[in-house]
Amino acid sequence: MRRFSASVLLLLFVFLGCCRATDLLVLSAYHRPDPFGSIVVSDLAGASWDHSIQLAAARGGYVSFQLVVKSDRPCSACKLSVQSSQPVDVYREWFHFNTPDKHYYPDALIPVQLPYSFQMPDSGNVIQGQKVRAFWVDVWIAPNTKPGVYRGRARLVDGVARRSVHFTISVLPAEIPAQDVIDVNSNSYGDGWLQAQYPKALAGSGRANEDEKFHLIQQYYRIFDENRTSYGVLGYGHSGDMESGFAPELAGTGTQKHIASWDKFDRLFGPVLDGSAFAGTRRGPHPISFMYLPINPTWPANYLWWGEPGYQAEFTNVVGEMERHFREKGWTSTDFEVFFNQKKRYKGFEWDGDEQRFPKDMRYFLIYSDLLKKALPADTPVHFILRADVSWMMNRQFHVLKNAIHAWCTGGDVILWYLNQVPALKQQGDIMWNYGGTPPVQDVSTAITFEPLHAWILGFSGFERWLAVSPGPYPFQALANGGTETLVYSGERFGIEGPIPSIRLKLQRNAVQDLDLLEAEAKQGNREAVQAQVVHLFDHMTLSEWRHSPSPPPPGEPLDWDNTDLSDALKPYEAQFPTPQPDAWQRVHEFALKSSGGVE
Amino acid sequence: MKPFVSLLLGLQLAVFSAHAAVPSAQTAAPAASAAISTTQQKALDEIARVATIMIDGDVCQHIVTARALHYMLHPDPHDPWAAGDNYDVNAPEFIQTKKTLIRLAMIAPFPVDVNLWMPVPTTQDIQLVILNQHDLTQFWKFGDLEQAMPAPMRQVLTTGNPVTVQEKSGMISVLAPVRNSLGQIVGLVEVCSSTHPPAQGDF
Repeated sequence: MRRFSASVLLLLFVFLGCCRATDLLVLSAYHRPDPFGSIVVSDLAGASWDHSIQLAAARGGYVSFQLVVKSDRPCSACKLSVQSSQPVDVYREWFHFNTPDKHYYPDALIPVQLPYSFQMPDSGNVIQGQKVRAFWVDVWIAPNTKPGVYRGRARLVDGVARRSVHFTISVLPAEIPAQDVIDVNSNSYGDGWLQAQYPKALAGSGRANEDEKFHLIQQYYRIFDENRTSYGVLGYGHSGDMESGFAPELAGTGTQKHIASWDKFDRLFGPVLDGSAFAGTRRGPHPISFMYLPINPTWPANYLWWGEPGYQAEFTNVVGEMERHFREKGWTSTDFEVFFNQKKRYKGFEWDGDEQRFPKDMRYFLIYSDLLKKALPADTPVHFILRADVSWMMNRQFHVLKNAIHAWCTGGDVILWYLNQVPALKQQGDIMWNYGGTPPVQDVSTAITFEPLHAWILGFSGFERWLAVSPGPYPFQALANGGTETLVYSGERFGIEGPIPSIRLKLQRNAVQDLDLLEAEAKQGNREAVQAQVVHLFDHMTLSEWRHSPSPPPPGEPLDWDNTDLSDALKPYEAQFPTPQPDAWQRVHEFALKSSGGVE
Repeated sequence: MKPFVSLLLGLQLAVFSAHAAVPSAQTAAPAASAAISTTQQKALDEIARVATIMIDGDVCQHIVTARALHYMLHPDPHDPWAAGDNYDVNAPEFIQTKKTLIRLAMIAPFPVDVNLWMPVPTTQDIQLVILNQHDLTQFWKFGDLEQAMPAPMRQVLTTGNPVTVQEKSGMISVLAPVRNSLGQIVGLVEVCSSTHPPAQGDF
């Protein structure tokens, strides 16, 4: 009897020890854990560690949550599995040491195969005192999913211990439109950055290296598209230096200038223009919506002939050939952007194409608009659009260039002073985007949703993150700038020949899904009411506060303003916005589902 | 017109004086990278020699505007981007000079950039004024409006003798003076190429 009691007590002790040592918990997508058992400070408000979670989702999109394994002791043979009637993608979260504030944040998401065996602490992440392994779970709700309640379970095995958590997803009849209301664009420049991020994949030379490089670029298109983000890669530098493949090869000069080969261009961009690059993704094959063209002051026309008849001859010859090629290929669903990115300060050319500040530079857009008209058939089904990124003197540009520019990308909040001009531009079919940066990992999780929401509230159709593929030199050791220049990471370290996503990218995707639903509701005729409710739920502000700057632009001409003038004038507007709560978007999400006729 | 403009128009005329002769290039640094062919060196030397003859120093002195120079010389402590935002050039002078630089680069049967550098008036610094298409330069740090003057450039500006530089791995530059109508050295060209240029047919 005494021996029996001792055995029972020993077993009980072991059992309780296991209970205390390892646990499997659920967190919402908006509350990011740290590696030591807490929530990152910026996401702390409203965080709740649970053993189950109830979610609601529309069809044709993803719904996300996090699984967290907490363990006070090392675990050498933990195993995670997920059972779900709907397809799930599980990623392990990488905790980055963030140099700006010396804290750890999860961001990069490494896809894992289930069941997934792992250790605690993570021998790859190498964090002293690590007690947490975290996993991001995306559940895909296909458009043809039958509305109803679906249940799933995640299970952790740690030696003899077993832990389970449950998730319930209420799938609503509402379906997320395939076409996003806000085109959130991830921008990049050239392909020079690929070599540093993929040294193994790009170790070869010649054709093999070129094929791999093109494949990698297509992978970037693919990952962004899968996450409801478009991708833009500009192929030329400020002096007109062209990356291989970003332009067809040219031959001849003057009236004899022509396209000698489409081979590289078609191998690089053909699959994203005909949509085949997206085969096998959940969104399916479809052509990209936007693409930069290689046109710049010295391509296709040689700058040597600028102002001479030869410039027009070379320009119209080659652009005319491009139009024919695109038409023959059937690439008529994409807007091909003629975009001049150069700035005088980089010493390549005598005019600013990007963010013009000097009124005299506007005439160049008029010249190129005229050249395009000469090069393109009036009835072409191919969409060539002249795009301008405007900031300092957008007010003047809207007037002077209204018949030349048909895609406007406005800088920051300056547009607040000139919003009254947007309807007329949209009326004539112009594309209106805003552009800016990407919030760092130390900001509250919902910060990533602000700009897409802001663009929607202002009546824009897109928001461009000016650089979204540059995580810095050693992002898995330390994020030098908080990840403000990236939403994806190289997967090469993990044996993946391509980019891997981030938590911020996933949260942004989920927000865009909700905006798509909200737009469908707004189109029914109650846009103001829908948007007013959304901003109220997001940060308790009013539509008027979101859309109007309490202070006027700086006095005088924009050429005489400096950055301090601008930031001072915008301060009263920006100061109105409180830091959003971590669950700010959760409230918007619930409203989106409710207003789309779904959740009770 | 703002008060500083007329003052700075005068400052732009600050020049280095030197002899007008154009001897063959001296080597400022030992060949740290790959040895280059005699043919390549000769081509670069020839371009540099012709550049000194062809580039009009008076025109070059009017490329960067007085307003741009003012902001460059008077950094705004509250706005670190003010100088860049106000950087501007006079288009006719820029275009004329850039076209000549492009033509000079075409003399070689391999990719060459001929870039224009000029001293920053009232300072010991130098500024890149025109960069050409291949971004070939051993000296410019992307984004710098002006920078400390490298010793080989100072040597060219003070002696008038061309200098060959191979400091950056894989690149070679020949620096040669640019003169104005008074015979004064007002700038220099950097004739720059890769030490392993592709064959003409591959380019």
